[in-house]
Amino acid sequence: MGRYILKRLLVAIPMVLGMTLLTFILMQITPGNFLDTIRMDPQVSEETIGHYQKMYQLDKPMFQQYIHWVYNLFHLEFGYSFYFNIPVAKVIAGRLFNTFVLSLASFLFTWMIAIPLGIWAALHRNRWIDRCIQFFSFICLSLPSFLLALVFLFLASQTNFLPLGGMHGPDFENMNFFVRSMDFLKHLIIPTLALSIGSIAALQKIMRGNMLDVLSQQYILAARAKGLPEDRVIYWHALRNAINPLVTLLGYEFSGLLSGAALIEIICSWPGLGSLMLTAVRSKDIYLVMANMLMGGVLFIIGNLLADVLLAKLDPRIRYDKKH
Amino acid sequence: MNPKRIPNQPLLKILQIPNSFWGSLFCKNIIGFFILFLSWAAFLPLSTAENTHPFRYGGKLVLTTTSDPKSFNEIIAKEVSTSEITAYLFEGLTRVNAVDLKVEPHLARSWKISPDGLTWIFHLRRDVKWFDGFQFNADDVVFTFNELIYNLNIPTSSRDIFTINGQTPKVEKIDDFTVKFTLQSKFAPFLWVMSQPILPKHKLEKTVTERKFNFTWGIDTDPREIIGTGPYKLAKYVPGQQIILERNPLYWRKSVDGDQLPYINKIIYLIVQSADVELLKFLEGSIDYYVLRGMDFSLLKPLEKNDDFTIYDMGPSSSSNFITFNLNPGINPKTNKPFVDPIKLSWFSKLEFRQAVAHVIDKQKIIEIVKNKLGYPQSSAMTEGAGFFNNTNVVQYDYDLTKAKELLQKAGFIDRNQDGILEDSQGHDIEFNLYTNADNTERVDIAAIIRHDLEKLGMKINFQPLEFNILVSKLNSTFEWEAIVLGLTGGVEPHFGRNVWASTGQLHLWYPKQTTPATSWEKRLDEIFDLGVQELDENKRKVFYDEFQAIVAEKLPLIYTVLSAKLSAVRNKFENLNPTNFGGVFHNLEEIYIKKEYR
Amino acid sequence: MTRNTEHVSEFQLALRSFKKNRLAVCCAMILFIFYAGAIFADFLSPYSYRNEDRNYSYCPPTPVRFFDEGKWVGPYIYGQTLTFNEFYRRVYQTDTTRRFPVRLFVQGDEYKLLGLIPSRLHLVGVQEGARLYLIGADSRGRDLWSRILYGAQISLSIGLIGVLISFSIGLIVGGVAGFYGGWIDNVLMRLCEMVMMVPGFYLLLALRAAVPDDFNSVQIYFAIVVILSFIGWAGLARIIRGMCLSLREREYVLAAKSLGLSDFKIILRHILPHTVSYSIAAVMLSIPGYILGESALSLIGLGIQDPYASWGNLLSDNMSIVRIKFAPWILWPGVFIFLTVISFNIIGDTLRDCLDPMMKAERK
Repeated sequence: MGRYILKRLLVAIPMVLGMTLLTFILMQITPGNFLDTIRMDPQVSEETIGHYQKMYQLDKPMFQQYIHWVYNLFHLEFGYSFYFNIPVAKVIAGRLFNTFVLSLASFLFTWMIAIPLGIWAALHRNRWIDRCIQFFSFICLSLPSFLLALVFLFLASQTNFLPLGGMHGPDFENMNFFVRSMDFLKHLIIPTLALSIGSIAALQKIMRGNMLDVLSQQYILAARAKGLPEDRVIYWHALRNAINPLVTLLGYEFSGLLSGAALIEIICSWPGLGSLMLTAVRSKDIYLVMANMLMGGVLFIIGNLLADVLLAKLDPRIRYDKKH
Repeated sequence: MNPKRIPNQPLLKILQIPNSFWGSLFCKNIIGFFILFLSWAAFLPLSTAENTHPFRYGGKLVLTTTSDPKSFNEIIAKEVSTSEITAYLFEGLTRVNAVDLKVEPHLARSWKISPDGLTWIFHLRRDVKWFDGFQFNADDVVFTFNELIYNLNIPTSSRDIFTINGQTPKVEKIDDFTVKFTLQSKFAPFLWVMSQPILPKHKLEKTVTERKFNFTWGIDTDPREIIGTGPYKLAKYVPGQQIILERNPLYWRKSVDGDQLPYINKIIYLIVQSADVELLKFLEGSIDYYVLRGMDFSLLKPLEKNDDFTIYDMGPSSSSNFITFNLNPGINPKTNKPFVDPIKLSWFSKLEFRQAVAHVIDKQKIIEIVKNKLGYPQSSAMTEGAGFFNNTNVVQYDYDLTKAKELLQKAGFIDRNQDGILEDSQGHDIEFNLYTNADNTERVDIAAIIRHDLEKLGMKINFQPLEFNILVSKLNSTFEWEAIVLGLTGGVEPHFGRNVWASTGQLHLWYPKQTTPATSWEKRLDEIFDLGVQELDENKRKVFYDEFQAIVAEKLPLIYTVLSAKLSAVRNKFENLNPTNFGGVFHNLEEIYIKKEYR
Repeated sequence: MTRNTEHVSEFQLALRSFKKNRLAVCCAMILFIFYAGAIFADFLSPYSYRNEDRNYSYCPPTPVRFFDEGKWVGPYIYGQTLTFNEFYRRVYQTDTTRRFPVRLFVQGDEYKLLGLIPSRLHLVGVQEGARLYLIGADSRGRDLWSRILYGAQISLSIGLIGVLISFSIGLIVGGVAGFYGGWIDNVLMRLCEMVMMVPGFYLLLALRAAVPDDFNSVQIYFAIVVILSFIGWAGLARIIRGMCLSLREREYVLAAKSLGLSDFKIILRHILPHTVSYSIAAVMLSIPGYILGESALSLIGLGIQDPYASWGNLLSDNMSIVRIKFAPWILWPGVFIFLTVISFNIIGDTLRDCLDPMMKAERK
């Protein structure tokens, strides 16, 4: 197993670098660069632009810039953000937690609702309750999340029950820990809901499908025939096997944990990485984009690897090392 | 909420005499008397209070901004989201009075100009302290100019502002509170540019010698490290969420009746990216101020009474929207192809063509549709907000499609083969690309309306909104474009538009960086800008700049469309508001205080 | 040969079970109507998509009346004029003295039906002097109903063409990788993963920036379709590859190999057809992604450009609470997007369930 993991990780390095190279080239060859915004200021001269160019090292040839970046990477330096004038790592660090909390909240919320819902729907297959759930799932799947966020915010503004965007109330500095946490949780509700509703619908469908698959298997029949209590058959034998395929999904979710959701973040004023990236991509803040892509890439690799390893642990039929 | 009446309200009303009133000696005496009276009156009940109006202090002002500041380094970062914050922290020797648009003393107490107009001596205030208690003096001024602005290792547009005919003014210290500026040539807006913020020598000197200045005072800096002289200091910055500014207790300014300014304790900027959410927040009451888009007016105006806020109309804004055609005859050195197809260039160069386009702009309908009837037509290069320098007496082009057709016909653009599309005399279809920046939806709408009318005339137009930086790189480096709808923010001082109007400027959009002026009118514009900046008599200057506006309106290098109305909704909790077109609602923030019942 | 007929009957079985699902059939009907509407948009719409009248900015739906003082006189509308009230709100004054009958099969804006037959015939319309807005007007007084019909042409075709492109790439890459295995498989799969690593939305933006800016509207349309399809293919290729890996060990593939058929033919004739049942469902489920992707691009102003209409740009044009409050009809494009997306989702899901036995049979 250890060898397998090592091999996968070694393969991953050129992949991630290749991805960043592609990103870099794409950012560079498309027209426009970061300094264009400054260029539109009537009071800025050509020389000043030149000075900025030098400061951000935009005057060097493209590949030299990239190699320089990779070189610095091995010294754990991720470059400088043009837009924010500070190292990229600091920009990202300032928002990492926010994105993580939101992703985690919506992840937990999704899985905690969707899995039981899927099981319940499967056990009541084709009865009206199942039909209702499936129909609503289709509706939820077809609503864009940013629209949901806007609707929630509008409702919140009418009822005054939930805060309108942001992460904290305006007075959060003067709050004690408990009040502050409550305040934070309240702010978390709308973006979490907006992000989760679609995924709940999707995950619920997958879970229901898996459960139905497993319930029609021979060994469940056998277990029932043996006279095991129904609860045990379902929650011990069936459930375990129905959840296994979801592990791959879990790995995928892991890789998305820090990618953020730009539109929701913008609408809910949630200071996460998604909206940061959107501006970075649009204003060509190259190194900020690169660092984020790198992070996303690494998480993607780890997530997939984690899923494969977990799958092997859970399912004895899967073996990665041929020698065993 | 029914505001309760403050007992001595009538007295306050008397004190709110317009600024110009203070001028006369007679009034000064009266004020002096009032100050005496008030300070004496204040000492009676509250013997410990220093200020005459202790009840005015405290409270907070909650504002929003759409994006994070990029830095707190005033010299390096200049865009709006940064200067919006740094304007509270740093101050210049002079400042512009937002009411009468005159330059007034600020950190400098007074100044003298030599008869030849080249030497300026500034006497600094002696009562100004940096946030950390250090005395502000001439060294700081000299440092800011000689070590920061003139330092070639520091990229800053401030240097460009002070570069007059290729040379920068010499800055010398006379004594601790006197600084001498020696110019090589006369420079009319000199006092204006002296509003350049001064930075503390004692804090920054080391960073300059260590060559770290470019990366000093970034957004990751401890707020206490950022030292200025302004009315507010930075208390906290949480990326993506909020910026908190705190009252500077050492601030030097006092109100006319001796109150230590500013009154308001805290300014909180919430970072809200979506305009809709901003509106909802204003309606909910969690922010104090909201800048209206045209369409918001119909929603907010009826709520004014009930929700306890007031909408202020401050007249036309100064951000123009115009359409311009590429008149650049140059050749791309990389591809050896002309920047603009010579055939198209010949169309665009025809004055009748541009005049026809000017007649096609349906300003009234654009205002109705895009600005919800809350806008102003623009015909002159200096907007109404420029006040003194605005020339209203320029050629007007009304919306008239038949006239436009006639003009085109006169210039030889006729639909010769009856296919609905005009052709030039050689039989080429009139077809061109029209770009604008995609992020500005109002501008995209304006462009779409113009395009529709141009197509009615029989032109074929490929319209594409582009990402802003792609658009700019076309304007500034590749020069490969045909027509663009764009905007520039105008100002009060005409000389600051030199980069746009002088033929050598790199923002001379339609044909930038010319070695010799391509047309006689561009030559005249160059002359005007060279003469205007040397003329120190305001009225004589105005003659120059009036001519410049007349030329632009006649020759139409930029064809102007409409301006939006400057509208802001402000919660009724503030006293002493005096919104102006130039300064907006909070230009006199130090003097504004929060009514007691709202605190 | 026998296998082939058996295959068809299995497919018919699946179709039969699909027909039993009333909801899915209903959705199929909706989609059919939408596509028909898109094809005959020129005829069905009262106005051309670019026919604007700035005097009718945000004109609400025109009430169509049938009775005059209790007497049936056939459908007619009144003339309307725009005024602004003291809050600068648009108020349309109805002028009861000017009456305009609504007629069927009227002459109106010129168009070419199906791009071929020039005509001026429109299903409904009123004569000059008044405007018929069945569901309201947009900011420049263009008929929203007409624009939705024209928008359907773009929005509904984007999904189809996009899916065609991305599935072609996905099937070929997946098929080749799965069939050959080894280093080809390795390289191709790593390539897929590299594409998957980049979040779709940013990739969309970056690629959009690469579109040459002297494109005309038709070229932009195709560029957007290609960009959207570039994002979807990688995931599909991975799944197809997995299926091919097991298929290539089948007897009939081995047989075809020993007969000396070229690799390309084997992949095309003997491997890919067996992934069809999966693909059909996947196609249905991925079409909504293209429609929503175009809307997302439109939302930041980089989608299909005015004056051409797509449901995405119709919706995002007006994405603001204030506009929705004063002109709620501008949400109609959203309703159409929603109905289309949900229909594709339900059909895709039902198809997958119905084809499932087939897929299981394949796997055996």
